[in-house]
This record gives sequence, structure tokens and C-alpha cells, in this order.
Amino acid sequence: MKTFSRIAVTGLGIVTSIGTGKQQFWDSILAGRCQFGPVKSFDTHNYAVHVGAEIPEFCPQDYVLELDPSSIGRASQLAIAASRLALDDGGLLLSRVNRDRVGVCLGTTSGEPHYIERFDEQYLQGQMDKIGQEFLNSYPCHNIPFHVARELDLSGEVITIPAACVAGNYAIAHACDLLRSGKADYMLAGGADAFSRITYTGFARLGAIAPQVCQPFDRNRKGMIPGEGAATLLLEPMESALARGARIYCEIAGYGLSCDAHHMTAANPEGEGAARAMKLALEESGISPGDVDYISAHGTGTPTNDRLETIAVKKAFGSHAYNVPISSVKSMLGHTMGAASAIEAAVCALTITSGCIPPTMHWQEQDSECDLDYVPNSAREHKVRVAMNNAYAFGGNNSSLVLMACPLQEL
Amino acid sequence: MDIEAIRAKVKQTISHITSIDAATISDTASFDAELDLDSLSILEIAVELENQFKIHASDEELSSIRTVEGAVNLVIKRLGAEVA
Amino acid sequence: MKRVLITGVGLISSLGESSALFHKQLCEGRNGLGQIAEFVPQGFESQPGGKVLSFVPEVHLQGKPLRPLDRTGRLVASAAKLALENSGWTTQAWADHDVGLVLGTMFGSMHTISQFDRQALTGGPSSASPLDFANTVINSAAGQTAIWHKLRGINSTTATGATSGLMAIGCAADLVRYGRQTAVLVGGADEFCFEAFCGFERAGLLCGPAGKQGYPIPFDGRRTGLALAEAATGLMLEDSESAQARGATVLGEIRGHANAYNPKWHIPGHEPDAIIRAIRGAIDEARLSPADISCISASANGSVAGDRDEAAAIKAVFNGQSHRVPITAIKAMVGETLGAAGALQVIDLLEAMQDRVLPPIANLEHVDPALPNLHFCRTPQVMDGHVGLINAVGFDGHACSLIVSRPSEDDCI
Repeated sequence: MKTFSRIAVTGLGIVTSIGTGKQQFWDSILAGRCQFGPVKSFDTHNYAVHVGAEIPEFCPQDYVLELDPSSIGRASQLAIAASRLALDDGGLLLSRVNRDRVGVCLGTTSGEPHYIERFDEQYLQGQMDKIGQEFLNSYPCHNIPFHVARELDLSGEVITIPAACVAGNYAIAHACDLLRSGKADYMLAGGADAFSRITYTGFARLGAIAPQVCQPFDRNRKGMIPGEGAATLLLEPMESALARGARIYCEIAGYGLSCDAHHMTAANPEGEGAARAMKLALEESGISPGDVDYISAHGTGTPTNDRLETIAVKKAFGSHAYNVPISSVKSMLGHTMGAASAIEAAVCALTITSGCIPPTMHWQEQDSECDLDYVPNSAREHKVRVAMNNAYAFGGNNSSLVLMACPLQEL
Repeated sequence: MDIEAIRAKVKQTISHITSIDAATISDTASFDAELDLDSLSILEIAVELENQFKIHASDEELSSIRTVEGAVNLVIKRLGAEVA
Repeated sequence: MKRVLITGVGLISSLGESSALFHKQLCEGRNGLGQIAEFVPQGFESQPGGKVLSFVPEVHLQGKPLRPLDRTGRLVASAAKLALENSGWTTQAWADHDVGLVLGTMFGSMHTISQFDRQALTGGPSSASPLDFANTVINSAAGQTAIWHKLRGINSTTATGATSGLMAIGCAADLVRYGRQTAVLVGGADEFCFEAFCGFERAGLLCGPAGKQGYPIPFDGRRTGLALAEAATGLMLEDSESAQARGATVLGEIRGHANAYNPKWHIPGHEPDAIIRAIRGAIDEARLSPADISCISASANGSVAGDRDEAAAIKAVFNGQSHRVPITAIKAMVGETLGAAGALQVIDLLEAMQDRVLPPIANLEHVDPALPNLHFCRTPQVMDGHVGLINAVGFDGHACSLIVSRPSEDDCI
């Protein structure tokens, strides 16, 4: 097989509520740690729910070294941290590469919500004079990868894909396409979202937030827990990774993207669009359902998502659905929005290299409509050659990414 | 506010959100079966009724509204209105 | 690799909803910009620009309630409808194909995001609108449009600031070129709203009010800034085999595109770097040379820095021939429409190459003497060319360029 069309994952940068950096994050995931607690960044006294998954003690000064951290939003800070970590992890020295050929492609749901939240407060308080040029210069979502590029002095393709909760998968898919078409030599691809009052208010209004924990696929699941985070994957053509002796986690073997075209907040009740995305991903990867060793679920913990996702997996995998372990790390991280599928892609890469799969935490009672192997409560040793990463979003957007081991002897 | 006025305002609210002509909405119409509304629109109606009538209902009460009659009854209950 | 053909266009603009009429009015130097007076009570002076006042969504979107869609969603879905109709796809045909959608937008539904938040702040979180929340994701208009028109392929949104619209076209073109989709609808829009207006005003980027130079004059020495305006566009991109198989009318072809980011855009001397790379990259991808370019639709919108940098970049790339290639700048007449801008430029350039007339840059009287000697069109320019360059230049370091050509004789059935 020609190596130039294969895309290698050579670095992982992860910033989450349960760990920053690949090792700390993975140790926490395998230990089933979670960081659900009372929301601290705004007052929830007049909300019916109060729990979130914010990142405690993130110090932007540790990672934002060129720009002034106070001049950029939190999502940009998280994205810069994840991108620096990915580059370090991937052993890529930017001084040795053509920076015009290094790009940044990130997904997000909200951009930098703090700026518009402050705008709204100032507007309501009749303090429009306090709104300065920082609003336009920092709020719009395209600033997140722009800030990464400015921080790291990168001048290649720099793009935001604000596709809500599928944004990470979409960004990784787009980055792969850019590499395959020769428009970039290296791509930092992933997603970032900061904790947002607007997002929290909206999901609370929909009654979609659980009172205490996120329990995906459990019979008594009560909803999601909004969170925040960032993940960046360093991607490059396989040839390049081999030539520089990079450590290769896996390859991105293929992806499938589709739209239900059904409803803004409710998935197609037959799981048709989600199943189609899975099938497209398998087709492009040349993988059959029986070859998939692990699925990272979207698994938000809402009654509807988990039920429909189970239907979709069965539709795509047939009887093999019962043989593939499928777990949701949202049971530990909460829903990190645009970062979620990027973090979960990193999780898939780590399952391949570590031979362990993460648990779905807080699983206590089986739901008759969710009867697959969700890896309840304990991580498990499990050889993973092929992992699938699924994510779904408002607007009926569906995405599936296939990551595959590539042992050196086969390259 | 008398019950007729409440009912008319409830129907107007539904009409504003769904574009269904208020005059065609029966007093007993069910939201999903007859008006063909999805859960998001039903929730929107419930929230808008709270805002319009300046009442507060619990999430459970709001999510239990399934018919025009149910909505009117909830408003009456929350307003503590005397019905003419 | 597939050839990427443009088989349908749709636009909602201050100069109408017909691409031919749009171009004709531009050639007449007709100004589509109204005067924004609605924010005067908040302490903002009257400025040129504003909403498309003639837009009536009910004309385009019928049969289902419109409440779930906000203005951005209505604009995109309407422009998409026009493009789908113009492309000649039947409802059955696009039910049989998974047509994709790529939306280019800078802000998404910023007004809805803000409105939702303000309602929650004033009335409490339980008073916030669930329907509005569904539109607070930046790509909501893409989702709403897909639902309205049953577009079941890829549903992506690109945001790169003011270049978002042209970027979306480039991304969509690649989906077709590399065989991921046979047909992709590209949407472009940014709703005109108080929040966006305030942002640009506070950043000092607007051309008004009347005390300063009261309207946008690209490349003019008197220019002081841009006029923020509104539009929505839809372009249907299709691979040539699919277009031929269904006997589609071909309006043009996307021959190449490129984009670049300049992390040092604020450092004197470095400003045009990304624009130069974008223009060169697009020409290279099209396997052409600067000598093959017949006309340029500039991004120039009256911004002091942006127009200067774009002119410098054109001079650098066309080196020695730069005085030959006629340049128009339609934002003089339609304002800066952000997500819709790129496609408006494409639509006009395709008409111009058909019509053989390039619109003038309205009100351009005193070309800035600090700019290089380029062929800025001050009157309608007769020309006979079939390859055009379109630029999009952001105000914060990003640039994108696209090369379009007239349909070849083989494409015209």
C-alpha cells in the first residue's frame, strides 16, 4: 500500500478536568476518575441544576508563552495548551520544518463565550462604553486556531470548523484531507470549548442536565453534565512519520460524515443517519464491522441519545454489535462539546497503544433498550487494532472516525 | 383574567410559535397527535406561557402539558385566577 | 481528481435576488447600502450598511413553521432554495443523492446567542427559549438548511473570520474534486445585527459616520473603513460527470483555490504575506500563471490596511503585468457582507465574464497615491476574458483566493 495517502497520528495533547497531558489523562481515565462538582464560574442559584465538569486549576501561563494570556479567551488558552502538548509528545521541532506547511484545524461549539456573555451583561447594565475592540478581536470562534498559530508562529492552513458536538471529528477529517491532497505537511487537529453559561443555560432549559453524575446507557440515566476541555492530535503523512522516526500511535483509516436532515435537537428515531456515517467510515477504511475492536460512544447520558445510539450501532454492525465493547468517557469528563470527539479520538489512539479500554462509569442498572457491552465501571485489558469514534450534534450531524493500529512491520 | 381570555392567549402563543392559525386550534387539541408538534416546540410553548402569564411552573409540570386544555389548566392553577 | 463545476447560484442581497440584475446594477455603480439609524439611541452614529430590508423569508420558505429558524437560518435556507432551483435539481433527484452542505460564516447566529443569553439574564434561566437555544450553535443555519431541504450528505461549517465565505467555497470544491461528494451546496451568510455592528464599530473598522468619509471607497486615498452589510448566498458545486449526466446548465468552473494565515499580520512590512501566498497558491492549483488571469474581484472594502495590503499583494504576484489586469471591488456597492462576500464576488465575476463587462468601483475618484499602479476600474470595464481571480482578505491575518472560469464549450450543452 502506498504510504503517502495514509495519515499517522504522531502526537496527542489533551487538557481535561481529570488530567492535563496524555499520561495524567489516561491514568485518570483508566482509574475511572471524574470531576463533577458544583459550577464555579457563574452563579447557579436560580437554576434547577448545579453540577458541571469544569477544569480545576488550569494555569494558562504554563502554556501561553508568546501571547499575553489575558488577551485571549479560555478556549484559545486550552487549545494552545493542547497544541503545545501534542507537538512535544510528537517530538516535532517547528524550527526544523517549513511553517507555511504546518496548519491548525480546530472544532468548537461556542468559540469564546465569555466575551459575548460579558457583552450581554454590559449591554443590560447600560455600560456599552465598556465594550472595546477586544470583543471583535477575541470573541469570534475563528480566533481559537488563529491564536494557536500566532502563539506557535504557524502560517499554513488555519481553520475553525464550528460544527458543535461533532466538531472534533470534522476537524480531524478535514485535516486528513488537507494532508492527503498535499496542502499541508503537518496538521494540528482537534477541538476546544470553554465552560459556557449560555451552553449550560440552554441544556438546563431543555431538561438535559443530570443532577449529579453522567451515567451513559444506564436505565436511570438523567442526562449530561456540561464540561470543557481541549485535545489536539498531531497528524502527518505516514511517509513523513516514518522518515523522521516518529512514534506512531495509529493511523486515521477513514471517516464517515452525514446529516439526518430531520430535527435540530432530536436525532432520527431510526438511527439511520448515524448508522450511515458508521458504514461510510468502515467502507473508506476497508474494515468490516467484525474487525472493530472498540467503539468510543457519543454516549452523552441523555435518555434519548443513548437509546438511539444503541439502535444505530446495531443497524451498522448487525449481530457484531454485541461483540464490540462500547464505552463513553463522558461518564468521566462530562460533555466537552466541540472538544469531545477530539478527546475521544485521542482516547481511541490510546486504546490501540495501551491494550486497555476505558469504562463507562456510574453504570448500575441495565436498560432493556441499551443492551450492548458498555464496559461498566472498570477499565479492561483488551487488544484494540481498530477503534471507531462516534459523535453526533445539533442539526442532526453524524460523524464516525476509524483509527487503526499500524505495526511497523506492516508498513 | 377569565378563562376565555386565558384560553385565547394560550392559543395565540401556540399560533405564534407554530404558525398554526389560532382559530383552528380546538380547546382540547393534543399537541403531538393533532397539532403535530415536536418536543422542542412543546417545551417552547410551555416556556412562553410562563413568560406571557408571568407564572412559574416546575419542570415536571411543564413537561406534563400535552393538550391545550392541559396548558390552560396549568395557567389557571398558577395564576390562582378566579374564573368568570 | 474531478472537475468542479458551478451549476446553480442563489443570492439574497441589497441589490436583489437575481444574479443578472445584481451584476447589471453593479455595472451601473448602483449603491445597495442603506443608512443604519437603528442604533442611534444606543449612542452610535448613523452609518451606511445594514440589513437586506427587502428580504421576505415567507416567499422562499413555505409549508412549515418558520419560528424555529432565526434570521441567519432563514437567510441561508432561502439562498439555498434559490440555488437549488437555479441548478435544476428536482426534489426527487436530490432525495436520491446525498447532497452535502458547507456553510461559510464569521459569527453564525450571534444575535440569537446574545438574545438567548440576555433573556436568561433578565428573566431567569427558566425563561430562556428552547427554540433559540437550538440556534446558539454557530452552525445552526447549516443544520436548519439541511433539515429544510433534506440535505443528507456532509454538513460542515467553516469560520475563518471575514474570509469564511470564500473558504467555504474552497472547502466544498475540494470535497467534489477529491470525490467525497458529487454535489455540495455552499452557503454563505452573516446576519446584520447590533452585536456585529458594535464589534466592528468598537474595533474602529467602520467607514462612517458622515463626519468621516461616509461611505466605503476601496483603494481611494480618502477611504476610512468598511460598511457592514448583509447578504446570503448559495452556490451549487457539482462534479462534471454528475452535471453532464443530468444535463445541468454550467455557469462556471472552480479551477483552484488556496488560503494562508499570517501570524505576523500586525507587524509592518509583513502584512501582505498571506494574501500573496493565497493568490499564488490558487493560480498554481489551477495550473495557470498570472498572465492567464483576465480580471480580479478584489476583497477591498474601504479598509485602510486591508486595501493597502491587497494592492501590494496583487502587485507582488502580477509583477510587471499588474497594470494590465482590471480590478473591481464590489464591496463599494454592497458593503462588507462577511460570510456571503466570497460567493457574491463569484456570482458577479461569472456574470461579468459572460457579459464581458467588469463593474466599476463606485465613488473611487482619488486612487491612494501610496498604492502601486494597478488597473482599478473607475468606470465599467469592457473585457474579454474567461479566467478570474477572487480574493478574500481578513482583517486579522487570513487570506483566501479562488480562480473561476467561464464554462468551456464542452460544458455548454
